[in-house]
Amino acid sequence: MTKWLRDNLWRHAVALGAVGFALFPIYMVVISSLNPTGSLQVTSFVPNEISFINYTQLFTDPTIPFMTWMWNSLYIAGLVSIVSVIIGAASAFAFSRLRFKGKKLGLQTLLLVQMFPAILALAAVFVIMERVYNFAPEIGLGTQAGLMLVYLGGSMGVNIWLLKGFVDSIPLELDEAAKIDGASPMQIYWQIFIPLAAPVLAVVTLLTFIGTFNEYILARLFLVEMETRTVAVGLQQFIGGQFSTNWGAFAAGSIIASIPIVVIFLSLQKYIVAGLTAGSVKG
Amino acid sequence: MNLVSGRPLAVIAKVIFVSIALAILGLLAISAFTAGEIAIAAFLALSMIAIAWVYFTNVSVPLKFFLPGIIFLIGFVVVPILYTIVMSGFQYRTGNYISKPEALERVQALGVVQDESMTTYDVTVGRLENGELALLATDYLAGTYFISDSDSKVEIASTDVELNEFEVAVSAPGFEALPPDELAAMDSELSSLRFYSEDSYYLVLEGFEVASLYTQVLEYDAASDSLTNIQTGDVFKDNGRGNYANINNSEDVLIPGWRAPIWFENYAKLFSDPKVREPLVAVFIWTVTFAFLTVLTQFAFGLLLALALNKAIRGRRIYRIILILPYAIPSIMSILVWAGMFNTEFGAINALLGQQIAWFLDPNFARAAVIVVNLWLGFPYFYLVSSGSLQAIPADYSEAAAIDGASPRQIFWQITLPLLLKILTPLLIASFAFNFNNFNLIYLLTGGGPRATLDGEIAGATDILISYTYQIAFGSNVQDLGLASAISVVIFVIVAAISLYGVKKSKVLDEFV
Repeated sequence: MTKWLRDNLWRHAVALGAVGFALFPIYMVVISSLNPTGSLQVTSFVPNEISFINYTQLFTDPTIPFMTWMWNSLYIAGLVSIVSVIIGAASAFAFSRLRFKGKKLGLQTLLLVQMFPAILALAAVFVIMERVYNFAPEIGLGTQAGLMLVYLGGSMGVNIWLLKGFVDSIPLELDEAAKIDGASPMQIYWQIFIPLAAPVLAVVTLLTFIGTFNEYILARLFLVEMETRTVAVGLQQFIGGQFSTNWGAFAAGSIIASIPIVVIFLSLQKYIVAGLTAGSVKG
Repeated sequence: MNLVSGRPLAVIAKVIFVSIALAILGLLAISAFTAGEIAIAAFLALSMIAIAWVYFTNVSVPLKFFLPGIIFLIGFVVVPILYTIVMSGFQYRTGNYISKPEALERVQALGVVQDESMTTYDVTVGRLENGELALLATDYLAGTYFISDSDSKVEIASTDVELNEFEVAVSAPGFEALPPDELAAMDSELSSLRFYSEDSYYLVLEGFEVASLYTQVLEYDAASDSLTNIQTGDVFKDNGRGNYANINNSEDVLIPGWRAPIWFENYAKLFSDPKVREPLVAVFIWTVTFAFLTVLTQFAFGLLLALALNKAIRGRRIYRIILILPYAIPSIMSILVWAGMFNTEFGAINALLGQQIAWFLDPNFARAAVIVVNLWLGFPYFYLVSSGSLQAIPADYSEAAAIDGASPRQIFWQITLPLLLKILTPLLIASFAFNFNNFNLIYLLTGGGPRATLDGEIAGATDILISYTYQIAFGSNVQDLGLASAISVVIFVIVAAISLYGVKKSKVLDEFV
């Protein structure tokens, strides 16, 4: 018994402490979302009344287009992650599997470019998209299409790196064998590489999805119209003014907005952790 | 040329895809060109040439894989970076935002004064028979009436005009007043028109019924690129820094100015101007402290958990799932939730502690809050990577040490930790670099504050370099894009150096070829 205590008690103590720390904000946001007064004020840590009024408000209040925001976020993040991985996978394949002059230089440039903090090029991106708006208002500043183009450009560097890391871990023997049989790089890419890399591509797509979903400042600058906003910008602006009074609805909204991401994350835990150790830090 | 190789279906798909891409880019290029955005049009046209060349010939197989990625990277990452570097060499700030011709136009438009006696006339806006806009003015003092258009002024006999109930002339031969709806529609256009009067004077509408007498006092001489104030005789010349300045007093500049190249002055300012240098140094120190403390706390806590759960104790799976939650929740949401929880009056933290701490008003409390929130956000990451790495360390080492009589503590400090650090150093460096630029956390949690805005201070107590730069470029009253760009370039160099060191450690570069 004492040996068990000595060996395991501290483990449970540390774990329980961490669990308390991890769950505290989550618990608070859940009880706030069920608090009918909708206020930030904490009167009791145990809810004495449970109501779903904050949730109903999100879906019925015409001044909070929550469903539209949610859809915008899913749509923008979804499209960006898919297109970005389609484009990135081709580049990663070339970096990983093809031999050509300037490969090292190309990778170094990619690495360097990726280190420029995107937010610092914000002013420049802003000016460029302002100009694009002058001749093509559909894809310029203030449009979701324009925002997606910028996201695509921004996600390219990270994705190529990440995908290259994964591709490197796929055994070379298969495409070597195909090469000996006379397959062209295109055939190797489509018939060997893509089927083998499919799970990896799915994971990187989801990582990009999460990253894009989490992006705040570009979305804030680009999407001025209420109806075009993403859920993060919408909710942030929504509590910005009346922090304490809109708290319940904000809590409910953030729970709903988090659910898809948490589900994706937990179900793909194993793969995402592999990606994390390959050197990406979630934004 | 190799237009038709491969399987027919693939070729058809390729031709269709490439043609659609070319058509879209072509349309955009044409409209960019017609709208005068030559640089963008050129970029689009070059992309078209590159696409056609790469996909319709066999010039380079790797390029077929790279090209779309390269075009996106150049357009939305490389060009903005280069543009930022260019901006850092310019005087580019509030008051110096526009181009020189635009600034000159504005300076001249502002370089007018009303005549000394502040003369105004009651006027009616209308059109002459030839359709030109003109004013029918009533001069009460002299009892005269005249019509003024862009280049002439004609007296009208009092017998010829028709007056309204306020004794203001409303119609005259050859002049027809504008109907009210047309008047309203032309509002903005009318206020910028100048109607001729004597000498250098002209009439400008103030509303629809009154016009004042103005004269141009700043005269531009294109040959010497200078402006002269004809009343005071002051001469203003291009000072080479984006303004016309009085040749006798360099402080006396005409506004607005324009964005002008000042080369390395923005960089020099970072070191020489105490108003820029001191906040920057303070922010830099906090940035490094913040990133370091963050990595240290996250790693220490994550490692402790990894060690605690490195044994199949009961409930380990559940612990693990709960402990990953903070990492799985979108950080943007959790930061906003934490911001609410740190609220002084209503927040859960103060309720829990039974205190009334003004977390975001006191620099040290604000900093502590930032570290705590970031610990919450990031410890699961280090828990995950540490437990993965712990399993990668062969058990033989610690067993051998135990046989030699080492205590568990000695085994940890002298064997496990050094090995772990060796594996995790690249990740620790990457995390440092990431937190060095953790904009969302600072911006959404504290907004960089608390800051003494009343003293005109831009740097807040929790501002890190990137949020401070954002504040300089977009946030404060005087937005200085030139200075912000210069700081950006400096941050880039720092982060690149840190990350390259990390990459070298992790030997990624060795595997390149």
